[in-house]
Formats: sequence, structure tokens, C-alpha cells
Amino acid sequence: MKMKAVVATVITVALTSVVIGNAYYQKKQFYPSVVYLTNSNPSMAVMYLQAFILVLLMGKILRKIFFGQLRPAEFEHLIERSWYAITETCLAFTVFRDDFNPKFIALFTLLLFLKAFHWLAEDRVDYMERSPVIGLLFHVRILSLLTLLAQSDMYFIHHAYLFTATKGPSVQLVFGFEYSILIIMIVNILIKYVLHAIDSRWEAPWESKAAVLLYTELAINFLKVLLYVGFVAVMVRIYTLPLFAFRPMYETMRSFKKAYNDVVLSRRAIRNMNTLYPDATADELAAADNECIICREEMHSGAKKLPCNHIFHAACLRLWFQRQQTCPTCRLNVLRAPAPEQANANAPAPHANAPHANAPNANAPAPPPPTAPVPPPFPNMPPPPMMGWGMPPPPPPRPASLATLSVEELQRLEGTERRHIEARLQLLHEIQAMLNASVLLMQQYSNVVSNLPLNCSNVATQTEIHRTEPSPEPSPVRVKTDPDVVPTTSTYKPTAGPSTSTDYTFDPNDPTLDSNRDQSDADAEELRRRRLQKFKEIHSDK
Amino acid sequence: MMAGSALRRLMAEYKQLTLNPPEGIIAGPVNEENFFEWEALIAGPEGTCFEGGIFPAKLLFPPDYPLSPPKMQFVCEMFHPNIYADGRVCISILHAPGDDPTGYECSAERWSPVQSVEKILLSVVSMLAEPNDESGANVDAAKLWREDREQFNKIAKRLVRKTLGLPPAE
Repeated sequence: MKMKAVVATVITVALTSVVIGNAYYQKKQFYPSVVYLTNSNPSMAVMYLQAFILVLLMGKILRKIFFGQLRPAEFEHLIERSWYAITETCLAFTVFRDDFNPKFIALFTLLLFLKAFHWLAEDRVDYMERSPVIGLLFHVRILSLLTLLAQSDMYFIHHAYLFTATKGPSVQLVFGFEYSILIIMIVNILIKYVLHAIDSRWEAPWESKAAVLLYTELAINFLKVLLYVGFVAVMVRIYTLPLFAFRPMYETMRSFKKAYNDVVLSRRAIRNMNTLYPDATADELAAADNECIICREEMHSGAKKLPCNHIFHAACLRLWFQRQQTCPTCRLNVLRAPAPEQANANAPAPHANAPHANAPNANAPAPPPPTAPVPPPFPNMPPPPMMGWGMPPPPPPRPASLATLSVEELQRLEGTERRHIEARLQLLHEIQAMLNASVLLMQQYSNVVSNLPLNCSNVATQTEIHRTEPSPEPSPVRVKTDPDVVPTTSTYKPTAGPSTSTDYTFDPNDPTLDSNRDQSDADAEELRRRRLQKFKEIHSDK
Repeated sequence: MMAGSALRRLMAEYKQLTLNPPEGIIAGPVNEENFFEWEALIAGPEGTCFEGGIFPAKLLFPPDYPLSPPKMQFVCEMFHPNIYADGRVCISILHAPGDDPTGYECSAERWSPVQSVEKILLSVVSMLAEPNDESGANVDAAKLWREDREQFNKIAKRLVRKTLGLPPAE
């Protein structure tokens, strides 16, 4: 690798001397030789190559001065980012092809060159956090590099501003924008550097550093997003869609979103911890060997218990939640898990209606049918898919006795009693309405059946009309909830419901009826067409 | 010294590892001035091609340890699907849940403060015994492990002899 670089350098230098020597040999004077060189394409190609090699060499020297040896990770990172940057620069050339000249290329090369040093500085400062020893040389190098970079950025922004203000929009817009992004980057690096430097000098762990870093990240990314959006808007107005800015813009937006989520999620997790999670009791601490598994130190006070019953120091948890909102031991996502107190307050989850219903039942002094299963309090909820047609819902589990409940729990039960009774009353009303509807349906059905022999030719259409017309609104929903209700009605009104004996002939579980319904669903299209035809016939007849 | 809690925890782990050392593993700070850089000696697991070897590695701990994982790097020559050419170890337990260099690890296997030096080293021992040839830290080694186990074993045996300071066989 090293040999190749040296050989390449030597070859280019040799080539350049040959080209220049040749020009001078042919023209003998300075000015004509320059003209000759610039007019000859092969000579210019060699000159460009030489310039490129010189830039690389310059970069190497500066790198040696400011960074010393690059770590492999830094080098990989640099190469990867350079490829993206070069591709995007080529894309930018396409937008500004009218301005294409050596100066233009030189400016873009310089931009890339400076960018590379920004990236390296960023990586190096990130590394501060991990490197055990930071010498004076490191501080001197980073600080002087940051000053130098900031000054050059400021100079180019200023230049771009003046140029645009006096001569109107040009490629300088891009440079102004790029250097603004770079200066924001410098600010970010500087903040990180100061934080890491303070942290490394303090004896005590600096707990809020992570939070400060998080907020810095958020603010910096917000600024960047603003800049990118502004830049794209300006470019679209003046030139065309700046494709070359899309990838960095997308990445900035993504990291802004991530920073935003991090801030929000970690804040929420820490707030949950402070407000919802209980302090661990002495017994619980003893059960966990009194050791906080995060810092491996004893827990005396200030320990919190997560919903998964794992116990940690509150301070350790706070630091961890800034990175991850999970339990360090079992990786339970603390933001998704229900908080422990809440879980106690409405013990069964609201959608599990069976245990919910037992609460008033257990509390009421003498419920009318004490052993009867109580109707579910949410009549509009579809029955659980597991329940077969006509199968009675399993009787809800009942608490052992009222004596085991604490006073608060009893009061809570009393508080919800009224709501439950109202729900039950509403349910009864609905049952009545459903039974009425089924009677109506039955009557229509028997009407149709009795009419059958009279006009045999119209059988198909007529029954279908009768069957499908009432079915869209009352039948599918009502009939579906029916089986759920059947057992309860039979217990409340043991022999006769509001319906007559016809009620029993209309069996919603009847497989033939079921399949009929399915078929009518499937044939709905066909039916509508036939019905329309019939309508037309009637109209034409009249 | 930086970050006090990290230092205290590292000291606690050092004590633990010295009092109850797991089989085939020795680890401790390079010098007691700097607890953030450790040195570990790992014996090649028995019944594998690395059997008999003693592999030195170094561990670098971040100042916010144990919130972030340490980095581990073998300082001897290694040939293994999950070890980079420069000796860096690539196993999921050493990756923070946020970043995913390989793109397929589920976060349940990642670093969390519950992990420890001992668990890392034990994972590395089992990694030596059973390479994960889907992770491409060393593609050549992964390919050889999959396709030409005999050749892989031969290379491993040579490395074992090398770590012991013996001349290569034959």
C-alpha cells in the first residue's frame, strides 16, 4: 500500500516534469509554454493528476500534524464518507455544468478536503469518551484543528454571501450552504469536546452529561434539518431539484427523528420511574441480594422496582434509560409495560370482560340469581372468537371471599357498581330489541313461505328480496351476538321470552340458513343485477 | 481517574474474577493504575481445533461502562469467522443495542449492564468452540469453516502452536 502510493507519487511527478519540460523545450519562454500547456488536453490531464496527488499529499501531512496515526475504524469511516461525498459532488456538477471550469473543480476539491477533516475531528472527539488516557497533545491538536476549520468555514460562508449578494445566485449558494452545515458540525464537535473534557476531569460521575448530549444532538439536528429544507427550497426555485443534497438531507432528518424519539422516550421512561414505579422494600432488596446489577453495589435506599419486579438503583436506571428504555435484566420494554399501580387499580385488563363482571357480583348483597353468569357489561363487543355458536360463555371466576379484599378495594368495587348496573340494564334493552327483530324476521319469513305455492315462477327472486332486504342492518349483527345472549335470557326469563314459539323455530345456528346467508353474500352482485332487471321490467310494464 | 462508578464496578468484577476464576480464563487490568484496559488469557476450549492454545486478548472499557460495552481484541494472530483480521471480536454481546454492524442481531443478545467481563469471556470461549459462520467478520475464515473444515483445523492448529511459542509442526 505504502509502496504503491510512493510509486504513484514518483510517477506523477516524473510525468509532470516531462510535460512541463516538453512545453518549455518547445516554446522556450514562460508565457507561450503556459498557453501551450493549457491548450493541450493530455498535458492538462497530467497537470490535474499532479494537482490531485498534491492534494492527497497535503492531506497526509495535515493528518499527521493534527491526528497522528489514524485508527482503522476512523480510516474506514473516512473512506466510506468520501465515496458518498464524491458521488454527490459529481451530481452537483450536473446542475452547474455551465460554470464548469478549473476554478470550480478546485473549489469543490477544497470543500471535500475540508469536509474530510471535519469528519476526522468528529470521530476523534467521539473517541475521547472511550480512550483511557488523553494527553495534552490531544487537546492542543483538536483545539487548533477546530479553530482552523471554523475560520476557514467562516471565510467561505462570508465569501459565498458577498458573492451571491453582489452577483446574484450562482454555484456559491451551494458552497455557502455546505460550509454552513460544516460550521454547525464544528459547533457540535466543540460542545461534545467540552463535555467530554469536563467529564474526564471530574472525580464524580457526571450524571447529566448524557442528557446534555441528547439535547445538543436534538438542537443540532434541528438546525441542520432547517438548513437542508431551506437550501432545497432555494435550489428548486432558482435552479432545479438538488438531487445531490437528498441523501444527506434524508440522513439528517432520520437522525433528527431518532434524537427526538430518544429525548421523548427517555424522558417518559424516567418520569415513569419517578412517579409510577414503587421504591423497593427491605424484603425485596434482601431477596435481590441487596446488589444493584448495574453498578454491582449495595442498595440501601433509592432503589426502584420495575414492572417486571427487577430492582435497581434509581440513579443507575436513569442513566440506562437515557440509552435504552428496557429492563437491563429481562429487556422488558418499560414504556410498553403497564405501570404496577395502574395494573393493581383496574386489576383485570378492561377487555377481559369476564373477570370484570365478577366484581359487582361479588360485592352486591344479594344478586337476584346468585349463581347465574352475569351478562357481559359491554354488549357491543363481539364475542371472543374462541366461543362457538350457542355455547354459553364460561362462568367468570369469582374471588374467594369478600373478607380477603381490603377496604380500598371494596370501595373501588362499590364505586363501579352503578356503572355495571347501567350496563346490564342497557344490555337487557338490547336483548329485547333483538328478540323483537327476530320475531319480525320470522313473520316475514313465514309470509314468504306461505306465498310460495301461489306464484311459483317468482320464487327465487321473491325469497331473495325478502331475505336480503331486512338482513343488511338487523340480521348479521344481531344474530351474531345472539348465541352470547341465549343462556342469560333463559336464566332471567326461564320459560317465555317476549318472543313466541316461532322464536324457537328460527334457529340462528341452523347450518342451512348460515350457508344461505353466505351464498347470498357471494351472489349479491348477481342479485342486484337481476333485481335491477326486474325493476326495469315492472316500469316498462307500467 | 474518570467516571467513579465505572471504576468501582470494574474493581468489583476484578475481585470477583480473581476469587472465583472461571475455567480457562484469566483476566485483569494491564496495570492497576488504569482499570479501563484489561488483558485476558483464554484457553482454547477442549475438543475443538483451538484446544491447547492460550490466546491473549485486550479489553478496552468505555468510561460509561457498564452502560456501554467494552471492546475486545485478540493481540495474537487469529483465524476465526467471528474475529476480524486485526483481532477485534465480533459477537453480539459486545454490541450496544442501538448500533447493529451486522444488521441481523436481535437486541435480546446485545449488551446490557447485566453482562460482565466474565460473561463476555465465556461467550468468547463458546464462540471459539462454535463459530457463527453467518457473521462476516472474517469472510475467508467463514468460507473455510463451511467448506474445508480440515484446512481450517490445520490453520487453527498452527495458530495454537504459535501462541505457545512452539515451532510449526513438520
